[in-house]
Amino acid sequence: MAHNLFNDMPEFHWMMDMLQTVDVGLVVLDKDFRVKLWNGFMESHSGLLPSQVRDKVLFELFDEIDKAWFMNKAKPVFELRNRAFMIWEQRPYLMRFPNYRPITGSEDVMYQNITLSPLTSTTGKVDNICMMIYDMTDVATGKKQLESVQVTLSEIHERG
Amino acid sequence: MFSVLICDDSLVARKQVAKCLPEDWPVAVHFARNGQEGMAALQEGKGNLLLLDLNMPVMDGYQVLEAIQAAKLPTKVIVISGDIQPEAHERVKTLGALEFIEKPIQPELFYQVLIKHRIIASQEDKSAPQLDRLDPAIRDCYQEITNIAMGQAGDHLARILNVFVKLPIPNVNLIESAELHMMLQDIEDKDTVSGICQGFVGPGVCGEALFILSDSSFADVAKIMNIKGEVDDRVQLELLMDAANILIGTCLNGLAQQLDLHFSQGHPVVLGQHRNITELISTNKTRWRRTLAIELSYGLEGYSVHCDLVLLVTEESMKVMNQKLSHLLEE
Repeated sequence: MAHNLFNDMPEFHWMMDMLQTVDVGLVVLDKDFRVKLWNGFMESHSGLLPSQVRDKVLFELFDEIDKAWFMNKAKPVFELRNRAFMIWEQRPYLMRFPNYRPITGSEDVMYQNITLSPLTSTTGKVDNICMMIYDMTDVATGKKQLESVQVTLSEIHERG
Repeated sequence: MFSVLICDDSLVARKQVAKCLPEDWPVAVHFARNGQEGMAALQEGKGNLLLLDLNMPVMDGYQVLEAIQAAKLPTKVIVISGDIQPEAHERVKTLGALEFIEKPIQPELFYQVLIKHRIIASQEDKSAPQLDRLDPAIRDCYQEITNIAMGQAGDHLARILNVFVKLPIPNVNLIESAELHMMLQDIEDKDTVSGICQGFVGPGVCGEALFILSDSSFADVAKIMNIKGEVDDRVQLELLMDAANILIGTCLNGLAQQLDLHFSQGHPVVLGQHRNITELISTNKTRWRRTLAIELSYGLEGYSVHCDLVLLVTEESMKVMNQKLSHLLEE
């Protein structure tokens, strides 16, 4: 076992490096919604270091999160081991992060899709869940622009 | 792959003939500008079927037919020519051509000729048993694994909502792209609906899940979920997403378990709220022809709630699925 671990060390290191740099927010939460893991994306966009958030309750770190709503979404993930998806159309964002493109972006905030995925422990129980946060700002901006164009078009039509 | 060689000195004629090839016929098309080029291509094996003009420079069609006979090439030849003299017809047939088609070529007639000489039929025959009709044993097998997955999904829904879920009998069919609309229209006749779709993919298996909730269900769903206040579009989207998450997620998990694979799920996409079903789905007809459709309609006892889950799996995925399920298919 120790030998294997030694052999796997470089791969483990790469894996951690990738988790750290992947352009998706990764957070591990326990049943009390305490933060267990906080990757580079989360650190950069929130400005909070992993050491500042470790073992803190998510709702205390970000008061913009609707606690009841979020707990409701997480419930089937813990209880039924079912992935949960939340899309920006439901709520533009979970955590208020500034737009990734502060100069050329037209929105102030980052629109987010959130996925909650169960993490099964060695005992087969789901004690932790993984939260993934995707930046959907460009998609959302595009859709909003398309909708406003459609409204303008139909107004022109009505006026004849 | 079956190869077709179009041999004609006129560019327009070559293009016209190429356009007449049946759209969904998976063939490699090659071109030659005269008999000599044509023979060279045939020698390289670029022509299971030769569509041959007669009057060409360098080496004409008659000479090509003679050369094919002399070299004993297995090529099937259909002559396409503007020469309408009966003698020309006779001559090419004695030289081994299957058929003589007069210019300008007519797609319908050409298609009939291909079928008559089993050039197309022989292609279709091979795949017919799997494609045209779903083998009863395979259908039964899909139905069974869906039954299990759907039972788990129903149970999860029941536990979250605290109601009794009426389980449907899954409807498994192989449908043509044009039939998808018809199938969905059957689901929702008068009511407007709201829908979510989500792509899923596992090794060798991919498809999309559609979740469709009739708009008349929202009032009751809101009651069950204890939502006070106005059930506006936003609340409805929440309800739609919650139900879709549970049903799609559990069903896919159940299927994945039985197929011994893992599905990645894409982000769900809102197809629309309060629309007609036809507005909801705009099918891209050019991209797929047939798909395996598994329809599940759930109802809640004592409530007027009606929702449908449709799992659409690509035709290619069925090969992998059948392989994974072969232990169930063995007698």
